[in-house]
Amino acid sequence: MNEGGQQMKDRHFLIAIDDSLSSKRAVLYVADIVGGSPGFAVTLLSVIPRPEEDFFASAEEQHAWMREKTAAADRLLENYRQVLIHAGFPPDKVRIRTSVGEDKSFAETILDLRCDLSCCTIVVGRHHKSRTEEFLLGSTSSKLIHDAKNCAVWVVE
Amino acid sequence: MGYSEKEMRTLIRRWVPRDRVPKRIRIKDTADFFRVDYDDVVVLGDVPYLVRNNEREGRFGLEDEPKFWVKRSIDLLTGELKVLKWVFREEFHATIGDLVFECVRSPHKEARILELVRGREDFMQGTTVNDSAGNPLRILDYIRGRTLSQVTEGLGTGHEDFFYEHYPLLLDEFFGIVEAIRFLHENGEKHGDIRRDHLIKDETSGRYRWIDYDFNYRHGESRFAYDLFGLGNVLLYLTGRGDVTTQRLLRESPGLLDRLDADDVNIVFRNRVTNLRKVFPYIPESLNRVLMHFSAGARLYYETTDELLEDLGEAREDLNR
Repeated sequence: MNEGGQQMKDRHFLIAIDDSLSSKRAVLYVADIVGGSPGFAVTLLSVIPRPEEDFFASAEEQHAWMREKTAAADRLLENYRQVLIHAGFPPDKVRIRTSVGEDKSFAETILDLRCDLSCCTIVVGRHHKSRTEEFLLGSTSSKLIHDAKNCAVWVVE
Repeated sequence: MGYSEKEMRTLIRRWVPRDRVPKRIRIKDTADFFRVDYDDVVVLGDVPYLVRNNEREGRFGLEDEPKFWVKRSIDLLTGELKVLKWVFREEFHATIGDLVFECVRSPHKEARILELVRGREDFMQGTTVNDSAGNPLRILDYIRGRTLSQVTEGLGTGHEDFFYEHYPLLLDEFFGIVEAIRFLHENGEKHGDIRRDHLIKDETSGRYRWIDYDFNYRHGESRFAYDLFGLGNVLLYLTGRGDVTTQRLLRESPGLLDRLDADDVNIVFRNRVTNLRKVFPYIPESLNRVLMHFSAGARLYYETTDELLEDLGEAREDLNR
């Protein structure tokens, strides 16, 4: 409640992570800057880029791949959730989410979820790619900076 | 439908010179391509095919590697040449520059695209039937014609003559080539293996057809970036009337090589010149700008065929002025 008795809406951060060191830096940065301050909520998001069906010999193989990746993503998300809680976020203000995408890119998936959750800020780590890598694979952070609307994007070095 | 040996011999004689008719007719099971040889007959979907040679392909620096799972054949009911492509699923890592891509050769992908492009003049045509083990075997129409590189190399007396006399038409044809890939992308499919010898100019229609869509690669943020890289390489090849390499410049025009800097070469293949205007100064700036999107100095890359086509449209206007 604020002084006038009205409910204050949390500022909602969406942190998109993977198992890279740059993601770890992004989580630690948010923990350092915002942790312990009132009025903030965080959703930790892991996007699992499901390969096209062509990459699997059978549906069973595809399901097994998904189970393994989802379990690994859940473990990682829970670890980072604990990091944020230790930094002072109330446990009920740190949510985790896994999203499996095939047709959408990482950036499109992140932007869609930001919209659904009305997050004010997207946080990602910056993967240091060579120009060739960026050319042939694309860059999620560049695309987020380019395409994000009505929100801030933090790209953590 | 079963065929007696006598019936089969009669069918073969309709399409094959008498001295080339096999002495013994061997009808082979279709499950294992390694057991199907020259002069064997396979029956697929009630149609008998007389098997001829394995197709060959230059790849990864190895010229004319036989593809044992791809066999040229004669449809014994119509006499048409077909290419039979057995299931050969492989997963492998392809190295492009200093990057390693997870790739797969998927018969299901090719079968899916054959359905998608049915009736289109800009794609290889074919059908899919199951072999005796239930795997998808593709029966492809044989395309008579030359590859894009075979067509391009013989044009013009020199580059300048080529550029003014032939290139505008080639660029028009390149639009069709890109538009075909746009169709795939709009339908969520990648070609997966875009290169100049996967484009054959059909002698019948005079149009280029894309062939071989069974490759797929694990993409990153940009789903079609690798396909667009392939299109860029084809465009550079067309515009240069072949690959303009630093080795070639060193040999033929060392003075020109001195004028190039690190940003002027291909972003992946560092021995290929991308800033072709420095070599051929009559190339319009607008066209060269398109080429430079594939250079080591590029800061912006094409992510969609529409972006490439839009810029190429401007370049074409300048070329026609």
